[in-house]
Amino acid sequence: MIDFARVQKELQECSRDVEASGIKVAPKSDNLGRLTGTIPGPVGTPYEGGTFQIDITLPDGYPFEPPKMQFATKVWHPNISSQSGAICLDILKDQWSPALTLKTALLSVQALLSTPEPGDPQDAVVAQQYLRDYQTFVGTARYWTETFAKTSSLGVEEKVQKLVEMGFPEALARSALESVGGDENLALEKLCSG
Amino acid sequence: MASEMEVPAELSSMFERHLRYRDLSLLLPFILGFTSNNTTEQRDPDQEAPQTTGSNERIILINPFTQGMVVIEGAASLESLLRDMGNKNGQPPASKASIEAMPKVEIGEDNKDGECAVCLEEWELGGAVKEMPCKHRFHGGCVEKWLKIHGNCPVCRYKMPVDEEELGKNIDEGEGEGERRVEREIWVSFAFNGSRRNGDSNENPSSDSSTED
Repeated sequence: MIDFARVQKELQECSRDVEASGIKVAPKSDNLGRLTGTIPGPVGTPYEGGTFQIDITLPDGYPFEPPKMQFATKVWHPNISSQSGAICLDILKDQWSPALTLKTALLSVQALLSTPEPGDPQDAVVAQQYLRDYQTFVGTARYWTETFAKTSSLGVEEKVQKLVEMGFPEALARSALESVGGDENLALEKLCSG
Repeated sequence: MASEMEVPAELSSMFERHLRYRDLSLLLPFILGFTSNNTTEQRDPDQEAPQTTGSNERIILINPFTQGMVVIEGAASLESLLRDMGNKNGQPPASKASIEAMPKVEIGEDNKDGECAVCLEEWELGGAVKEMPCKHRFHGGCVEKWLKIHGNCPVCRYKMPVDEEELGKNIDEGEGEGERRVEREIWVSFAFNGSRRNGDSNENPSSDSSTED
């Protein structure tokens, strides 16, 4: 049974210093078992300027079992699957501790963006590129950040308009945008996947 | 790269991670392929039928360096096989005695500041908490539940004593047949450049199977 009282506390605590950390956690629905985390790409990395969404699923044993986290935003990083968004991070596996929280776990994921460990890869292709051709790696990672992790400065109305121009009904486009927190790429993905 | 093409990326990376935790890394195998559920249809006709029912999987590992190959049949699933192989699930549970030996501390006026790092509830005046050898304090129920899963301090990872008997029992259980599925490994070694070609598909690997340890 998930300790929902603790999850509530965590959410309150996290929203209190969202300004300082830039890390957000929000439930996907009324059910606190599924949440979305948001982390800013660390400054001085190819992920700078990007906003990365992470799908969080709490197992029944939470907080005695680690939360399941997976990037919803596509990201080019040796320890994150470029296809599924799966994260290779010890604290999300055997090094979990119940004293960690969703916020501290997301902070660790953010730190992972700053310090890739290509010797311990999740995505072998990315790790090979990191080791063999670092400049190309940086270029690809930056390009992916630009393409997938940047919420454009467009206003909501303009984003809706853009999606309508692509042929989606306005109401649908609007609700899709809302459900993904205004990210037009994610909204498009959602609309395309039905 | 071949493994990337044949196996879902997630599975292969899971495999790589598990391998790192074990000396099997010496073998450096790659998953060539695996089958599930319909193994009976794909089973070679000259091999005896498996003794187990239910879904089986056949996992093929090859080592491109020694040109060894192993087929593992009867694993309940790839994941469970890896779990058995890796058996690296963090710190084992703390011994019962060490959990019971933790002193109780009363929360009074002088030590009422703070909270339980497990449930995040603040200390209640007059309540009792448990103190670990590293001096970190938690609600008894909270920390005991954790220590029965992983015997380390949630805050500083101080390692609690592990029950030797429990460990021994687990190993015995692992070795005994019991209700475990019958797993069968078939070792094959072969040379690509034609100087040597042999293969054996017996349950007991023959002595010239160079990859057997």
